[in-house]
Amino acid sequence: MDRRYFIKQSTLLSIGGLLIPSTSLTACRKETLFDDINYNGKVLIIGAGAAGLYAGYILKSKGINFQILEASSSYGGRLGKLTNFANFPIDLGAQWLHGKNNILGDIIQKTKTKIIIDNSEESYWFTNQIISSLPKDINAIFIREDNVPDVSFKDFAVQEGYGNDYANIVEGIAGDSGASASKISAYWKIKEEENWNSGDDDFKFQDTYFDLIDKHIASEVKDKITQNTIVTKIDYSQTNIVVTDSNNNTYNADKLIITVPITVLKTNDIQFIPALPSEKTEAFSKIGMEAGMKVFMKFNNKFFDQNIIGGNICAAYADESVGKVVDDKVLLAFVMGEQAEYLTSLGNDNAITNALLQELDIMYNGQATASFIASHVQNWTTNPFIKGAYSYSTVGMGNARTVAAKTVDNKLFFAGEAMNINGHHQTVHGAVETGYREVINILASIKK
Amino acid sequence: MRNYIIILSLFFICNKINAQELKVDISYKYLYSNQWDKAIQTYNFSRPFIAEKQPLLMHGLNSSLSYIFKTSKKFKHGINISYSYFKSNSENENFENNLNLHFLNLGYILHYENKEKWKGLYTDLIISATSSGLFRQINGEPFEYDETTSKAFGIGGDLNFKLGYYLKLKDKYFISPFISVAYTPYLFSPNSEPVINQTKGLTSKNWTGILTTQIGITFHIKKND
Repeated sequence: MDRRYFIKQSTLLSIGGLLIPSTSLTACRKETLFDDINYNGKVLIIGAGAAGLYAGYILKSKGINFQILEASSSYGGRLGKLTNFANFPIDLGAQWLHGKNNILGDIIQKTKTKIIIDNSEESYWFTNQIISSLPKDINAIFIREDNVPDVSFKDFAVQEGYGNDYANIVEGIAGDSGASASKISAYWKIKEEENWNSGDDDFKFQDTYFDLIDKHIASEVKDKITQNTIVTKIDYSQTNIVVTDSNNNTYNADKLIITVPITVLKTNDIQFIPALPSEKTEAFSKIGMEAGMKVFMKFNNKFFDQNIIGGNICAAYADESVGKVVDDKVLLAFVMGEQAEYLTSLGNDNAITNALLQELDIMYNGQATASFIASHVQNWTTNPFIKGAYSYSTVGMGNARTVAAKTVDNKLFFAGEAMNINGHHQTVHGAVETGYREVINILASIKK
Repeated sequence: MRNYIIILSLFFICNKINAQELKVDISYKYLYSNQWDKAIQTYNFSRPFIAEKQPLLMHGLNSSLSYIFKTSKKFKHGINISYSYFKSNSENENFENNLNLHFLNLGYILHYENKEKWKGLYTDLIISATSSGLFRQINGEPFEYDETTSKAFGIGGDLNFKLGYYLKLKDKYFISPFISVAYTPYLFSPNSEPVINQTKGLTSKNWTGILTTQIGITFHIKKND
């Protein structure tokens, strides 16, 4: 073989085959979205919950001017932390990481945050006794994917042959989704979660969920949060958006990310000028969000099981010490929907606690009242800036979330757990995803 | 690996019986897929806590084995099997994230050479069925959730045009530098986005289209026409 000839041919082929496609294609391929965008406008974010904080975090990383307006005197939205009740920190709001194949799972890996799979055992209050397993596996009907009608959990359970004995068990299952069994749709619950890809394991934090968001997200944007600012009016009729708060202070912006809970949008606490499109307000009305509260009860004796499903006052109790290093005996009453409405109607925290203790006394032969030390009631329903637990899928819901999450006039962008259209509503990681999704939508609207 | 050796052995046996040409090539492969790019770009955009960004799936290695059937015609045909590997690695404190992408193609070759007019130049048109596997590793370990490994498989078709030049080494042994361009018009890999960006339906609705270019060397065992 002629070596010089070979080298010559090889060189020619290399230039043609490697350099031309590589240089031309590589040059126009960037590692990140909007690498070359330079936006000088101002973005206002309403709400300092997980979605709002994360949207701010992304805007900061892109060097974009932003401000977060928060109605309450704290940040975190439906996340919160209670430190002086037990000898371990308690999550007042969201406390389970639902699967770790999500963006928060990455933050947990990166920061070595300690989490533990919640493998706690379930027990049931069924036909006036505590049992470890039900005669028939009712959970299976709510996770199957075929022939599920658009009826409520309650009606679907009856159709499937689960009668009155199972009513409070169904209430407990619905309560996991923040809803009453009579209102949440069996069909849409399954339909909306078809894209669920996060994983089925639930994790608890050794510290709290709030700590994760506080240390690794809120810490980046704290200086941009204006607290105690209750937004009452959004005027987007002109090029410049004008936001007015309850003290008549005004804030100007070019783009607005609205992350308030769906209840705030449904009850028209914020006036939009011009009014939002009717299809959007109809979509808001179809997204459910009901009453929800967490009651923490401390005892001097651990008489209770790890999970008790099926109570008449509270359909789901859980041992709060699961996943914690220390173990004061704290039982969580996770009360949702109509049960939460009933307890709220009792008027005060003592009455709520007494109602729960009475139920536990029936279940555990008077041990609850005998060993009771203290309680803490976190009623998200009476929080004027939250007004409930989290969003759920109602009967006849259709594509309401997709419509609700649509941008209006390239000015108003909607984020928050209720605006997650990929099956991750009701979750903190789902809210975070909408936070960065809307920053992408803002930058895409500018690029257009 | 064992299967690969078996296939290789079978080809050598067949070569003794009816082969015109047996060739093995190794090449650098450049990959472009808008959808994979978009998922990685979204991943990088949405994670300011990662200082070193995740590189796009772009540079890889390919090896293939081809068997050309014996014929006296200028157009010859044969079969081809090829394997490609692409890696995207970012190293951050406590967080080394790897994306490993594998392709396996099995296809039909239409080979053309014309010694009188083209001298050593030859072309191959390869039509293949493609399968892909995308895997994620974190800190050197396969990323698992729900006790399953994070993975996405895909299938598609592949159309590859290859141009090479024979250089004789000894008797029936040749090498040829070559370039090729390939387009995979349809690659269906629905779980790619959950593996890369950990979302579904956020960065893409469908998963279509891959463009690749290659440059490499082929080793030939070629019988006389």
